[in-house]
Amino acid sequence: MKGIAISYAVTAALLVAGPWLLGEGGLRFATECLLILAMAQMWNLLAGYAGLVSFGHQVFVGIGAYGLFLISDTLDLSPYWVLPIAPLACAVVASVIALPLFRLREAYFSIAMWVFSEIVAALVTKAAWLGGSAGLPLRSSRLLDLDWFEPVLFWIAGGLALGTIGGLFLLMRSGFGLGLMSVRDNDLAAMSVGVDVQRNRFIVFVLSAAGCGLAGAVSFLGNLYVSPAAAFDVNWVVYMMFIVMIGGIGTLEGPIIGTVIFFGLRELITDQLGYSAGWYLVALGTVAVIVMLWSPRGLWPPLRDRFGLKLLGVGRTAPTAPDVPPLAGKVGQLG
Amino acid sequence: MTLLEVEDLNVFYGDLQAIFGLAFSVAERESVALVGANGAGKTTFLRALVGLIDGKQGRVRFDGRDIQDTPAEHIARLGLGMVPEGRMLFDTLSVEENLLMGQVSRRSGAWTLPRVFDLFPALEERRNHLPRQLSGGQQQMVAIGRALMCNPRLLLCDEISLGLAPVMVEQIYGAFKNIRKEGTALVLVEQDVKRAAGATDRIYCLLKGRVSLTANAGDVSVTELTQAYFGM
Amino acid sequence: MAWIETLVNGALLGGLYGLLGIGLALVFGVMRLVNIAHGEFMVLAAYLAVILVGLFPQVHPLFVLIPVVIAAFGVGYLYQAVIMNRVARAPDPLAPLLLTFGVSIVLRNLMVEVFGADVRGLQLGELSRASIRLFGLSIGVMPLLTLVAAVLLFLLLQWALKRTSFGRIVRATADRRDIVRLFGVKPDLVYNYVMGLSLALGAIGGVLLAVRSSFTPFSGVERLLIAFEVVVLGGIGSFWGALLGGIVLGMAQLAGLKWDANAGLLYAHLLFFVMLLIRPAGLVASRA
Repeated sequence: MKGIAISYAVTAALLVAGPWLLGEGGLRFATECLLILAMAQMWNLLAGYAGLVSFGHQVFVGIGAYGLFLISDTLDLSPYWVLPIAPLACAVVASVIALPLFRLREAYFSIAMWVFSEIVAALVTKAAWLGGSAGLPLRSSRLLDLDWFEPVLFWIAGGLALGTIGGLFLLMRSGFGLGLMSVRDNDLAAMSVGVDVQRNRFIVFVLSAAGCGLAGAVSFLGNLYVSPAAAFDVNWVVYMMFIVMIGGIGTLEGPIIGTVIFFGLRELITDQLGYSAGWYLVALGTVAVIVMLWSPRGLWPPLRDRFGLKLLGVGRTAPTAPDVPPLAGKVGQLG
Repeated sequence: MTLLEVEDLNVFYGDLQAIFGLAFSVAERESVALVGANGAGKTTFLRALVGLIDGKQGRVRFDGRDIQDTPAEHIARLGLGMVPEGRMLFDTLSVEENLLMGQVSRRSGAWTLPRVFDLFPALEERRNHLPRQLSGGQQQMVAIGRALMCNPRLLLCDEISLGLAPVMVEQIYGAFKNIRKEGTALVLVEQDVKRAAGATDRIYCLLKGRVSLTANAGDVSVTELTQAYFGM
Repeated sequence: MAWIETLVNGALLGGLYGLLGIGLALVFGVMRLVNIAHGEFMVLAAYLAVILVGLFPQVHPLFVLIPVVIAAFGVGYLYQAVIMNRVARAPDPLAPLLLTFGVSIVLRNLMVEVFGADVRGLQLGELSRASIRLFGLSIGVMPLLTLVAAVLLFLLLQWALKRTSFGRIVRATADRRDIVRLFGVKPDLVYNYVMGLSLALGAIGGVLLAVRSSFTPFSGVERLLIAFEVVVLGGIGSFWGALLGGIVLGMAQLAGLKWDANAGLLYAHLLFFVMLLIRPAGLVASRA
């Protein structure tokens, strides 16, 4: 626990000093990494801890971004002050759609989320007051001090990434987190000891949406421009999912490892080797598929077990699948 | 001639061992009862025999062939059939279709659809019904008939009287006489020791994954059996 | 009258949509697996058809369906054997879902890189434009043929599943994948054939849809979502329900397009979402 606190403090200090340590290009890149990491953690919270795989989380990226742009421009307020609107808007939307969506299980939830995202994207594209398919520039950007813009974004992104990891760490150690993980491991058993499964799922869904919305808003704030094609791009969720799949679903460390591999591979393939983004996604997807086949829970759990590593252990680990043939599932009834 | 021979069989569920160094044999045309308390490992043993459990070590020979590493779908084709515990019928297939699944293994022999209907006339009238429309006893008949359609040389029957009305149990045990006439060897897993002893030549008793008694069905005394059954 | 024509055309399109859904439903019914890459495989089949038509211009475009369907079956068989069977038994339902999503991303971007992002289509010459007049309505010959083909395929598939021993084995495997092994059936092999069949049906849908409207490597997403909506609307696992679901979606889409020319699939999606709200009981899974 002490070690974790120290490394957390060192990381925080590095983030504060970041703008002086990194060049301008490096700073942008680092900001992007941190935001994607935060999004991946949010997707992981939902999939890894509540068992809900969303293929439509890009909708929260988009809603967060549009929420920020719209409110900031309408009220003529500095976008920094309007940032809290983004997670709030996403939380409200998530609470409303949870109602119909939670009736669906597994893949049906996943794809229905996706359909919802497509609907919102289509409506935004058709809305003239939101700039239609051309999108919106951030008019209130004149209120920003552009000299400090990149460092401030970096700090926000760093705070967000660190905040999500720290928050999830504390959340998973709390009674709520334990209840959550017991549901993930065994629905029925958890319910029989009084864990309210639907309530837990709802809370996680709303939290996850809010976090993604904030990260999305910061990301598009950095561009000073938002368009529906970019904001509601299915690739947002593809990135989150691949990072979590590769790194380790249902662990806090997994998305960190996944993010490193995600950006490492991107720099290698698009920058060093000069291939297109399409080939990069082919490579990334292939890596994800191979990792899934080799270790369905991602890279981190086997690494942790092999080397006895403990970075952010939350007391309980994700269960490895018991090696019991399906027929013999009811071990209690051995003849 | 020995049909099935098991030596030093150990069966595991992950880290959990359920069967310890088991020895077991069935001769051709023989009928053997396998009794034991709940949790003694009877079902686990049968499932391991037919290849539905992977975690097993030891030697299993069937009809002169090593089958300890043979996958279940090949074991079935060699003529080792099973009526699984809980019947496990195909819920969306009609009675007749359930029976015809036994033919997939393409083993020829005495048992055909008409012969099974002769054995269990109740099924012929309900050939187009779904399993859930049948009584428990009729469902058990489908499960037995389905296994017979494979024309097995050895038929393993797991808890076939469990939860059935006594009159149904009588009918089903009556059918075993006809089944044995075709030369099929039998292993009956039972909780009802008396009934099992009455219908078979030999008895094995399992206790906590080990054989606690083997005896000829006629020779064994109630005290011996009780001891072996409960381990007292 | 124009509106009736739109609805009739929507129904004709819906037959095709039903075909998109049936492949997805088949795999779900048998293996409890939603193949997220289904749409990408359809688009891949369409590309193969376009290439074959280019290579053999003297052959009527509809005949390329034969090699395309055979290839799709082979691809499906291998896809299941090499990749999907490794996770089909995983007790964790997330693994197959994530895996098929991963495969869909790889396929989509491979197609972008290999075929380019340009819009493609499959031209049938006269047949594409031909129409007949029925009860005062102008109806395209090709859409009509497509609906007839879809209904025939539905009948054929239903016959194969209900009346053949292959179908019996497939249904038994769907019921109890372990118990069928007691009768000499290897479930993995059954899954291979079913995935092959699913992608073969998807290929027919993919090629016929390419005749109707143009496509890009990114069209797989739309096709998957349509297929999924068809399956859910029709009642999961119900064959004729899928056809009905397809017809309802097709009508919603064309009516929406008439109302608002650049709506795309918005109204089909909206209809699906509304149905989700008002008829959730019909959405609960039952078996094929």
